[in-house]
Amino acid sequence: MKPLSAEAIEAMLAAQGIPLAAGRAERLAPGVNALAVADALRAGLAFEVDATTYLLALSRNK
Amino acid sequence: MSDPAALTLAEAAQALRRRELSSQDLLAACRARIERWQPRINAFVSQEPRNSGREGPLGGVPLAHKDMFYRAGRVSNCGSKIRRGWVATETAAVLERLDAAGALDIGTLNMAEFAYGPTGHNEHWGDCRNPWNPDYITGGSSSGSGAAVAARLVFGALGSDTGGSVRLPAAACGVTGLKTTWGRVSRHGAMPLSHSLDTIGPLARSAADCALLLAAVAGHDPRDPIASHEAVEIGIDRPIDSMKVALSTGWIERNAAPEVAAAVLAASRTFKNRVEVEPPDFDLLSAHCLTVMQSEASAQHAQWMRERQADYSSAVRVRLEAGFAIPAAQYLEVLRLRAAWLDQWKRLLGEADLYLCPAIAVPLPTREQTGPHGGADMPKLLAGVTRLTRWVNYLGVPALVAPCGFDARGLPIALQLVGRPFGEGTLLAAAHAYQLASDWHRRLPPE
Repeated sequence: MKPLSAEAIEAMLAAQGIPLAAGRAERLAPGVNALAVADALRAGLAFEVDATTYLLALSRNK
Repeated sequence: MSDPAALTLAEAAQALRRRELSSQDLLAACRARIERWQPRINAFVSQEPRNSGREGPLGGVPLAHKDMFYRAGRVSNCGSKIRRGWVATETAAVLERLDAAGALDIGTLNMAEFAYGPTGHNEHWGDCRNPWNPDYITGGSSSGSGAAVAARLVFGALGSDTGGSVRLPAAACGVTGLKTTWGRVSRHGAMPLSHSLDTIGPLARSAADCALLLAAVAGHDPRDPIASHEAVEIGIDRPIDSMKVALSTGWIERNAAPEVAAAVLAASRTFKNRVEVEPPDFDLLSAHCLTVMQSEASAQHAQWMRERQADYSSAVRVRLEAGFAIPAAQYLEVLRLRAAWLDQWKRLLGEADLYLCPAIAVPLPTREQTGPHGGADMPKLLAGVTRLTRWVNYLGVPALVAPCGFDARGLPIALQLVGRPFGEGTLLAAAHAYQLASDWHRRLPPE
């Protein structure tokens, strides 16, 4: 995934009604981009899986 | 009996049942300690009685809880300026259950602003300070819960854990803390931070004490849509040799501070039945946890972030701002991956009952290093403190933290036991067995 630029972050927040102080977007960018990590399990994720399947996983992994 | 406040919760409850002590004796002992310790550690926000005790398994035992569990007609400040003086209209399920068990609720405890900080700093209510050395962090966000239990101001306390907020203060303050399985304890009437991760759990002096508190608060509640129907099974008397413990010795030796590694590995040898496994991908799972936490916390705070941004501390405001920059598809994909990672966790454990690792692998930083005037190293220091707790919240499994030594500065070191979903009983039994063979949990901070 392409990293988000400070300008893109500033625009995303502005669109949601969150103003940023000058220079804040530059500070936020490294942390936000660090969360977009490569995950090997993504490739095997079935199309039908959604977030609620986690509840079933809690029961079957007791 | 020299100081009743030095008893464990289990011992105090037993002394009450045998009429060797009265509830007033315990309360007076706690209040005497609060008078001495509160100016040094700032653990309490308010010290007024919030209920009256009654008969029950915890009948007459003084407790206090993080200032985010609502009680109808009483103030819950949630560690914030925005909710300063806010009066709740309903009572948290966990407080109702502790009331029913007879526990006294003697005040509210300090916490990170909106439970969104791992250190114990709070610019609105004053920093909570570590009883072992007030220059050092207590861990957060249940900072007052950790500090008050460590200083023996109360016999136990509830905290919340979204990314480590029960375990970090338990570890830093040298007490026992239990992060429960997601859905094990009702969150009705508790301040939300991140609904996919939020859990409630006890901090107390021992695993046996945590078991008593968990027994009182756990179980289904129709008012919390994710509260589980799973049976609550908490039997702590299991022989230690019957437990198989997984760990990753090489990872601990390579990644933990030498004093931490030595103490945790020494503790691991209490368990004779050990198996070496590849470590979970702590950093990947932590990143997923943060994606979920930041997205949900920002959504929860969206209205106040638009209207009252200046009323947040700068540290919390930055965390909330970050959540608005996470794409929705990224957030939802991480949640879709969660079941697959839980399946992986079961495979990693194999035949083992639990996984053992440090709670905090790095030397505990000072308040100065991690506060508003911390230096350029602060993000790295904070990442080190939280490295081994957030991955557990992403999986949603239970984890217990217990003291297992002290470093050269006299600060506690703690181990962490991580289990299977709804495996709290196994963790409590393992920690209880360890605490029968050690006395770290009985050490008191210097007066």
